[in-house]
Amino acid sequence: MLGLAGAGLTLGLGLMWAPSVSIDAFKAPEAQRIFYWHVPSAWAAMIAFGMLFVGSIIWFFKRSEWAWKLHVASSEASLAAGLMCVWSGCIWGAAEWGVPWDWTDVRLNTFAMLTLLSLYLVLGRRSQPDGVETRDTFAAFGMYGFILVPVTYVATRLWQIRHPGPVVATSEGSLNSDMGTVLLIGAISFTVLIIGYVMAGMRLTDLEMRLEDLQSRYEEGNR
Amino acid sequence: MSGQTYLTVAYLGMISALALWTWTVFSRSKSLEAKIDSLEKALAKNESE
Repeated sequence: MLGLAGAGLTLGLGLMWAPSVSIDAFKAPEAQRIFYWHVPSAWAAMIAFGMLFVGSIIWFFKRSEWAWKLHVASSEASLAAGLMCVWSGCIWGAAEWGVPWDWTDVRLNTFAMLTLLSLYLVLGRRSQPDGVETRDTFAAFGMYGFILVPVTYVATRLWQIRHPGPVVATSEGSLNSDMGTVLLIGAISFTVLIIGYVMAGMRLTDLEMRLEDLQSRYEEGNR
Repeated sequence: MSGQTYLTVAYLGMISALALWTWTVFSRSKSLEAKIDSLEKALAKNESE
């Protein structure tokens, strides 16, 4: 709830309070305000991908049920946050660049691959019977897929093609302080939001596992 | 389309995604709890018979 309230506050401040960008520097200056949810949703997706990596690696090596629940919950959270980021990015691209996607841009494509990976994990888990082999397969994808996170992070620094470069935590950053404040509120809110959703997702996975256990006990009792 | 239209479409999409995601979490939780509750009752009944 706190995360949702913070996201709402970020939206309100981003639309009403944050200053407009220079008309000369942007083709679609009004659409730039997409940034106040686009960047925090990308940040939230990265946190979720990090949790997916942790859950996958601990499940793979320790066989911890808690880690599997983290894997499941964070794959769902990373899919939701990733889709929000891709959607808003495409809309901004259409407004600013005239095209929603650039297949030559490394940042766009590695982030899309991460989102597709989480889609595969979410759909794959639902279509496969639960078991150690299935979990190992998905955990391996969660571990190896994580390599795309640092690649995505450095992409605009190493190969800036179309996606804008970093505007915070860099000496080249040129972000207005009010814009920076709204972005910071957004980043904190989406962090709280994603952690809340992962915790809720872990509880849901726990309930699903309990239901499966009860169903098998019920079926055994009726034989 | 104007910049304002793009902005509206982008935020409507993201708000819908967030709302759908929140609703899914709550409805899945409610449905699972109801199923668990009824199975627990059925199991308790089986054990008492």
